[in-house]
Amino acid sequence: MNKSTLARLLAMVMAMALVAAACGADDVIDDVADTVGDVAADGVDAVGDAAGDVADAAEDLVTDNDDEMSDDEMSDDEMSDDEMSDEEMSDDEMSDEDEMVDEEVAAGASGGTLIWAHEQEPPDMHLDDPNNNLSVTSWIRSALIEGLYGVDGSTSYYPELIDGEADVVSNDDGTVTFNYTLRDGLMWSDGTPVTAADVEYTMDINLEGCDFEAEESGCVYLRGDRTGYDLVTEYGATSDTEFSMTLTNFFAGWKGLLNEVYAAHAYGADATEVNANLPEWANADGVLPSSGPMVFDTWDRGVSMSMVRNDNYAGSVSPDAANNGVAYVDGVQINFVTDTDAQINALKAGEAHIVMTQPQLAFGERLSTDENFTVASSAGPVFEHWGLNLLNDHLADPLVREALAYGIDKTEVMAGLYTPLFGDNLPAEGLGGTYWMSNQPAYIDAQKVYEGKQSDAAKANLEAAGYSDSGDGIMEHPDRGRLTLRVGTTGGNALRELQQQIIQSQLAESGIEIIIDNVPGGAYFAERPFADEALAASASGGAEGDPTIWDITQFAWVGGPWPGGQSASYLGGNGNNPYGFNNADFDARAPECDATVDDAVRADCYNELNRYVTTLEIDSETGLFMIPLTQKPSYYGYLSSVLSGAGVAPDAQGAGPLANVVDFAFK
Amino acid sequence: MVAYALRRLLGAIPVILVSTFVMYALVSSINDPIAELRQSCPQCDSSAYDRLNDLYNLDQPIPQRYLSWLGGAVTGDLGVSTSMGEQEVAPIFWDRAKNSALLSIPAALIVIVFSAVLSIYSALRQYSLGDYAVTGFTYLGLAMPTFFFGLLLQVFWGIWFQNWTGLKPFWTGGLHTESIGDLLSSVALPITTLVIISLAADTRFGRAAMLETRNADFIRTARAKGVPERTIVLKHLLRAALIPMVTVWAITFGTLLGGTLVTETVFSWPGLGRLLIFNGVFDGDVNIMMAVILFIGVITVLFNLLADLLYGWLDPRVRYG
Repeated sequence: MNKSTLARLLAMVMAMALVAAACGADDVIDDVADTVGDVAADGVDAVGDAAGDVADAAEDLVTDNDDEMSDDEMSDDEMSDDEMSDEEMSDDEMSDEDEMVDEEVAAGASGGTLIWAHEQEPPDMHLDDPNNNLSVTSWIRSALIEGLYGVDGSTSYYPELIDGEADVVSNDDGTVTFNYTLRDGLMWSDGTPVTAADVEYTMDINLEGCDFEAEESGCVYLRGDRTGYDLVTEYGATSDTEFSMTLTNFFAGWKGLLNEVYAAHAYGADATEVNANLPEWANADGVLPSSGPMVFDTWDRGVSMSMVRNDNYAGSVSPDAANNGVAYVDGVQINFVTDTDAQINALKAGEAHIVMTQPQLAFGERLSTDENFTVASSAGPVFEHWGLNLLNDHLADPLVREALAYGIDKTEVMAGLYTPLFGDNLPAEGLGGTYWMSNQPAYIDAQKVYEGKQSDAAKANLEAAGYSDSGDGIMEHPDRGRLTLRVGTTGGNALRELQQQIIQSQLAESGIEIIIDNVPGGAYFAERPFADEALAASASGGAEGDPTIWDITQFAWVGGPWPGGQSASYLGGNGNNPYGFNNADFDARAPECDATVDDAVRADCYNELNRYVTTLEIDSETGLFMIPLTQKPSYYGYLSSVLSGAGVAPDAQGAGPLANVVDFAFK
Repeated sequence: MVAYALRRLLGAIPVILVSTFVMYALVSSINDPIAELRQSCPQCDSSAYDRLNDLYNLDQPIPQRYLSWLGGAVTGDLGVSTSMGEQEVAPIFWDRAKNSALLSIPAALIVIVFSAVLSIYSALRQYSLGDYAVTGFTYLGLAMPTFFFGLLLQVFWGIWFQNWTGLKPFWTGGLHTESIGDLLSSVALPITTLVIISLAADTRFGRAAMLETRNADFIRTARAKGVPERTIVLKHLLRAALIPMVTVWAITFGTLLGGTLVTETVFSWPGLGRLLIFNGVFDGDVNIMMAVILFIGVITVLFNLLADLLYGWLDPRVRYG
């Protein structure tokens, strides 16, 4: 080997060593970041204070080390005192702590800009734009504008702009009238009072141009989801603070109507103008006024959006809000940071304070162990499910569908997906319904009987259906052939693919072979369950179209305080029902549920509908074509070294981190 | 030369037409807003579907839609964005192109200057300690994934350096234009990332070109004739070695101008790369995709043409027929 070759090799080795060192540096980064104390509070603005922070951090570091030493040396009794959880603390101690937190919050009421790093940017601010169904848009709007009813953390409605529950009157002619009274002191951010005329105007805008008979477009509800609005027969303001609305019949989702009230003096003269103003949240004179705790300020597309405090805000009456006045912070800035690691770096660098995102391992690995951050989670409203094609030869047999339900262990699926992120404190269990979510009061696990992995029961079902072992553990049927089923979803979602793999492994133990058949990008729905040929087959019971395009589909839906909209996917006459489910009793029962006035009875009715689709109890032939799987946990991380935790609460409704924006305060 | 340039430009038109049509057909066929709406809003009635059809001409065959798009594109109308609230694509595109240029032009210029300097140094001092250092640096740059290097810079300057010194000289993400200082602070890390990654490849290529030219007969002849070494390097060696390097620089410049997806993503930079992938591909926004693809096509053609023209300036033997 000559000198030059040797030298080149040496250079390569040096380069590789540097790369290896760099790769290994990540852990070191975490270690250093974990041990050094407070990161600057408010982005680059805090640079001037940072020297002091570092000095404090050094002190913290010494103190922490001392604590660790003394822990080691402590007796078991002393240790147990130290490790006593909040739940074990006495009420006095708890209330003392609460007072301290309140004092901290009060002290932090001086302002500051809350910076939220988020991976998605709204396409526009017009939530009813056909291209805009992103959660982030509704999250942002929740801080800007309020409605007659809001939704709280337990996914229940609460009176938001109105003074207590509306008065519901059933009229002799079958119509139902709702009478609302607005709260006192409501004001738009520009100082104009919020009146019943605004409510009437909002209804005008919602209904303007909507000729429901002719199905013409032109309403603000461009997406065409006019559910409920198509029942309105009469409405109007009866005084400055009173408004009434009459529907042809009772509609279960009535509290969701007028969930936002627009300002008559500012949002636009007619629906066309409102449509033009909403996307940029501005009219010719400037930004649209707010009734919520924040006012829209600026939007630098691709970079950030900012809001400022609404000093005319009348205060939140949400049961979750600790602060009933105006927001503590001066404003909110949303930085659009698409990369997960970049989000974490932004938090660690003090360029962001909160994050709410898809549960991802990187957050668990880099933030959960960091003392500067608090990580919170709860079972979110987004749930994954498997929908079965009843026109598939195997799946047409209820025993096979039941075998699938027996073979899947949802708890194991949850653990496999989220234990690395949340440890043993999983925020949710497997889901047993598609109407109510597990954290809603009316929830009943309809698939409780299938709980756990019951491979023997699954195999017994299959044998009863005429299947036998083909020799490699997978069952086969003399007529239908090998029990192989394709499960498909939009490819590229790592968590969803992991979920498929876990279930694939579970079902193999029950003799069911699952083939993962994902389609990348947005083509999945168009090519598989919602392809024209597939929908035609579903609508005709297989007489038309192609019933073989798909077997099992997996995707997510979002639960809510009114789950009746879910029925649309299961109605026999609905062209958007891909499952081949066509049950006249269900079709008749669904509107009955929606028309049930009593909340508790209606909740039970939805549980009954759920049993149609998730069990064989009511429809033993075509029931159980839905297998709800898991609720996706909401994930929050926030810089607890600079923020009080008041604004961050478990968020079952998925209203986003700004749902309690009034409560955020800097320490 | 003008006639040659015009002929090349005319020859590029069919290339751009074919490539844009292929891309249009591909991206249009994989996106189906109607099916997505069926899944996300089963309760929506037919007016919602009619609305989508009207907005995006979904009831027309793809070639007809392409012709409509093309007709608009040649007059500067790039259509409306389906992922950004039906805004005109053209102003969005130019805004993002400007942001990409904030990174790519300085980065490309730095790469050109430094790759030339390092290549010359490395070739002239072959097997010296300095040459090994440059070689080590280029291997490191080539081996380091862009996203990793970007994240490493963020961690070092955003977290470590701040913790050690209390100073935070650079933003770890976003475009901050509140002041010149903010702007410089926000472009520093992404430009560094682009420079390091591109510089490594270009330097490696440049060194090879220099070494090959250094051993050429005309250089040996010049040296034998007693031409000063400085003149040999600057007048003969550099000029000859620049010919292959110009090609590489043209590609580098074009690639950087077309947006650099990874760097823009890591640094939350609102440029063309992020626009193409997140709004175009992920959100299925055909008009956004086509605008960026058209731009990349045109830029590639222009920079290749520029490279060809530069050959003639660098090498008098090259004649444009």
